[in-house]
Amino acid sequence: MSGKRKAAVLLVVAALAIVAAVLVTRGRASQDGARMSNRGGPAIAIRGLRMKLAPISSGHLLAVRHGRALYRMQLADGTPCFGAGRAADLGTPGSVVCGHGGFPSGGDPVLDISVYEGTRRDVRELSLFRAEGFAADGVAAVHFLRPNGDVALSIPVSGNVYSASNVPHGPIAGVSAVDKDGKRMWRSP
Amino acid sequence: MTRILIFVIACACAVAVVALAQPAPASAGWCWPTCSAYGYLGPGTSTNTGCWYSSGEVCGYYGNWFNVGISKTCYPGCDWNFNTTGVVLYGFENHDRIRGRYTAKGAETVYVRPYELGMSGTLRAQVTWYGGPASQLNAAGIG
Repeated sequence: MSGKRKAAVLLVVAALAIVAAVLVTRGRASQDGARMSNRGGPAIAIRGLRMKLAPISSGHLLAVRHGRALYRMQLADGTPCFGAGRAADLGTPGSVVCGHGGFPSGGDPVLDISVYEGTRRDVRELSLFRAEGFAADGVAAVHFLRPNGDVALSIPVSGNVYSASNVPHGPIAGVSAVDKDGKRMWRSP
Repeated sequence: MTRILIFVIACACAVAVVALAQPAPASAGWCWPTCSAYGYLGPGTSTNTGCWYSSGEVCGYYGNWFNVGISKTCYPGCDWNFNTTGVVLYGFENHDRIRGRYTAKGAETVYVRPYELGMSGTLRAQVTWYGGPASQLNAAGIG
């Protein structure tokens, strides 16, 4: 093989490696916000899921906060699921989220499963009824934002979950995640 | 090319997961638009059945629901993290209030029981457009 050809091959290999790295990391320079260190406790039986073809039979309890149990589960095909329910009824989540994109990922460090409430029919203005969810490593707190951007509620993240015992009245228009230095990592919408 | 491949995979996943939101065959239920199809829920969509919002919402009849679930596709497109730009609220409502959880994710199946929303009694299962373009989804409630 000539020197030019070798150089060309090396160039192509290097380019492919860069493309692969970008794809794997989804363009993120860091993996911060893409992992959950809390793997949960031992596997427990999951009951009461009446979803056709959703064979979730076991999961892991990640945490109990304010009377709520937060779970990590998995479909038979490997799709990760997260759920929550009453702590008094362990193993029976009342809600489940199964995302084929997986969670967490570099650009998606928060899975908010808060409950929102509206009491007016003339405007789509919703307030918090309950605040809870899951967060990746590196997320120090989750902020709930007013329409003007002010922080209405800040909940610290512990063990990759967050939960508040009380929530403020008034409209909420977004959620953001901040790191330990208070730097915003993510916002939705 | 990669984006097209991811989009195709996402669509395949979405088709696969739509079944997950379906109620068990023996259960009384509500489906939108049908129990085997996706519909587009946008600001002008309505079932015209007296839902909480007169438009931008689909809802079932009043009943004692076990849960409501939706399967949302990547329409009109997903980013690297399977986020779409269409946000919906799924949950329940009664005469006094509407409650639910937001999602903007494509290729995702979610479900919630009334007690998770602090609700009980006779309710309507609902899915509401909240922002962005129309979302393509299948909704189902088990009675």
